[in-house]
Parts: sequence; C-alpha cells; structure tokens
Amino acid sequence: MEAPPVTVMPVTGGTINMMEYLLQGSVLDQALESLLHRLRGLCDNMEPETFTDHELVYLLKGQQGNPFILRARRSLSHPTAPWHLRYLGQPEVGDKSRHALVRNCVDVATSHTLPEFLNEMGFRMDHEFVANGHIFRKGAMKVVVTKLSRILVPGNTENIERLSLSYLVELSVLAPAGQDTVSEDMRSFAEQLKPLVHLEKIDPSKQRH
Amino acid sequence: MQQREEKQLEASVESLVSRVAHVKNALHSFIYKLENEYERLTWPSVLDNFALLSGQLNTINKLLKNEKTPSYRSQVIIPLLLSPDRDDELAKLTEQRVPVFSHEIVPDYLRTKPDPEVEEVEKQLTAEAARIGPEAAQKQIQTLNKLCSGLLEKLNNPRDEREAENAALRQNKPSFNPADTNALVGAVAFGKGLSKCRPPGPVAPGLSGQGPMMSGGPTLQQVTIGGGSGQQTSMGGPVPQQQGQPGKMPSSIKTNIKSASGSMHPYNR
Repeated sequence: MEAPPVTVMPVTGGTINMMEYLLQGSVLDQALESLLHRLRGLCDNMEPETFTDHELVYLLKGQQGNPFILRARRSLSHPTAPWHLRYLGQPEVGDKSRHALVRNCVDVATSHTLPEFLNEMGFRMDHEFVANGHIFRKGAMKVVVTKLSRILVPGNTENIERLSLSYLVELSVLAPAGQDTVSEDMRSFAEQLKPLVHLEKIDPSKQRH
Repeated sequence: MQQREEKQLEASVESLVSRVAHVKNALHSFIYKLENEYERLTWPSVLDNFALLSGQLNTINKLLKNEKTPSYRSQVIIPLLLSPDRDDELAKLTEQRVPVFSHEIVPDYLRTKPDPEVEEVEKQLTAEAARIGPEAAQKQIQTLNKLCSGLLEKLNNPRDEREAENAALRQNKPSFNPADTNALVGAVAFGKGLSKCRPPGPVAPGLSGQGPMMSGGPTLQQVTIGGGSGQQTSMGGPVPQQQGQPGKMPSSIKTNIKSASGSMHPYNR
C-alpha cells in the first residue's frame, strides 16, 4: 500500500482552499453614474446586472474570545433562488506589500431552511441588512457597487433606511491560495478607477476603534 | 526654378499620399474592430484608436503647413481623356474603388469647391458676418483673443501652479468620502451601526459578553417562550433593550447542552 497523500489542510469533500482577495472603497451618490459608466466600459460586455439581497450575519459564541461568524444571504429579487452561506476567515497577515486583503473563504448554496437550521445549531443572528446595487465582472474579478440599508423592524425587508449617502464598491477575486499575481491585476484595475473611487485594502479589525 | 518646384511638388504629393494611406489603414482596422470584435472591445482600446487617428491627422496638417510644400491652390488638374470603358490600370492603382474614369466620377473626385451643403453654410456665415457690423465684430474678436491668451497662459505656466489649481478644483467636487468608506466597511464586516439591540457605534471587542438575540424556534432546553421571558430579569444580562425579544437564553452553547441534560438550573446564569 502506498503512503496516503500528504496534504497541508484536511481535504473535506474535495474542495480546494479558496481565498478571497478584496479591495474596498466607496463612492458618493452624485458620482455613481460616472462610476457605472466607467465600469461598463472597463468590464466585460454584458447586460448590467442589479441585485437586491438580504444578508443575515450569524454568530456562534464559543468559550473563548472570538465568535464564529457565518453570513447567510438570500436574493429578494429572486425569491426562489437558493440561499447562500459564506464563511470568511481572518485576513491573512503576512506580506505587507500585498495589495489586497486576503482571507479564507468558503461558499455554499443552501435551501430555504437555513435560518432555522442555524438557530438549531446554536447560532444567533447578530445583524442583518439589505444590499442592493450592481455587479460587474472582468475575467475572474468581480466588482460590486452596493447600497447598504438598515432594517428597521427585524425580519421586515420593506421597511429599510439607507446607512449612508455613499455606495460601497468592492473588487474581489476568488482564487486558490498562493496566487499572488491576482493582487497585481486587482491593483492595476483599481488604478483605472481613480480618481472616482480609491479602492484600497481596508483592515476590518482596524475599523473597530 | 521650374524643375525645383516640380520636384518639390512631386515629393510633397508622394508623402501626402503615404500619410493618407496610413490614415486609411488605421480607419479600416478600427472599423473592422468595431464591427467584428464588438464584444471584446474595451474603452481604452477605442481611445487608443482615436488617438492614433488624431495623431495621423496632425502629421498631415503639419505636412501641409510645411514650407517646403508648394501651394496646392496654384495647381490645376484637368482630365485629358474620359472614357466609359473599364481601365484596369486605374482599378489596380485604386484597389478596385475607381474602375472607370468617366463623366460620372470626375465631378466628385476632382472637385475643388466645397460640397453644396458646406457652401450653403459658408454663405450663411458670411452673410451673418456682414450683418453684424464692424464694431461688434471687433469686440467679438477681442473677447476671443483674450480668452485664447488666458488659456495659453494657464497652459504655459509652470506645472506646480497648475497642480495647485487642479487640486483646489478637485476638492470642490469629491467623488468619495473616506469616512463613508470606513462606515460602510465597518457595517459589512461586523455590523457597525446595524444591530438595533446595541447602541449604534463601534462594537466593543467583548462581543461574547453580551447576550445573543433570539430569533425564534425552540432551543435545546425545550423551555417555552413564556417561561423564558420570566427568567429574563434574573439573567442580569448587560443589554436592557430586549423588550421585544421573546426570551433570552444563556450565552454559550455549552450551557445549553448542559441544561438539556437537566443538570444545570436555568436561573444560574
């Protein structure tokens, strides 16, 4: 019998360890039109796609400090589409010269019983919001321009109010671990969006204070 | 003297022909790209094509303005022989665009006056100019000169001055707000300003210290919702705004499991 293959991470279900490379920025309402025009020119030629999503963030508190966070997302514009569950790990601290935020990412599609399932597992919903906006694609890169809204009455997605007067712009790529050319491509794309938007690596833990 | 002029004429016509051929090729490839590679075309490459065409037109202009170029206005082209028969030599020269040198094509190709529409517009403009009168025309000329010189001055000034002006202008119309960026990133990353059971603002790192929200559904403890709310006051949780919530459960899943086995009293939290 030959020795079992040596892997760095336990292989579960045949999925590769995917990392999400992320750059974020924002754009004010008045500059939104010009940003959308520019993105239509720069990105792949496809019909502009809009989306309306409701995202719920679930927390599982362990004995030790950091809670485990899962994000459940469903489309309000396609109510029969499956829910989307995503885990995002801590941003990889390493190469300071790397231009994008890199974190581990696991994505699955689930059925509509997801909230009840998570509650049964012991997760508790921490916060929820409604996101709607536009999504563009260029090769493997995805650009999302989102308007975030707060939900005033829990569970009621009609009664929402905007969080701020800006749209959040995110440039992300899902790639297997170890591909550093991805962040170079992202940075050159981000250069083309200046000075309308400054896409940069924003460390979420620094935002807490 | 005559010979020199002739030589000059010949040379300038040749270079003009080659430049025009460049423009034609550039246009040809651009049109091809627009028609056939429509899906893959990106705005930067369209801009590149336009820039190329503009550069080529510029060189043609420079060539025409060159001192060595004789004035073409003094030259006259007279067709000596027109025939309705197909001329193969001509066809080859013009890449099959002019197969016949006949009466129909001569007025178009050898035209020296502007097109009829252009002539109309020019007539209107000259009539308007005559109508205005010399003083008004003079004033308009002066304003135009002033604007042009002001623009030239701005363009010729040292670069740093220009940059300062640009920076000042740009600040008047910012297209993004860094504070908003931070707020939005905070909201997406960990719900800053989104959860209603906490006061809006930065979430303290001690998330685990606060009680969770109950979203409904039976828990492992099988405690009824009514029974749960009765225990609320004894919980002593740090978050008082949970009036709307049906009940608070102990904050760690281990506790839940213990309670399910019955060994832990629910009031002990």
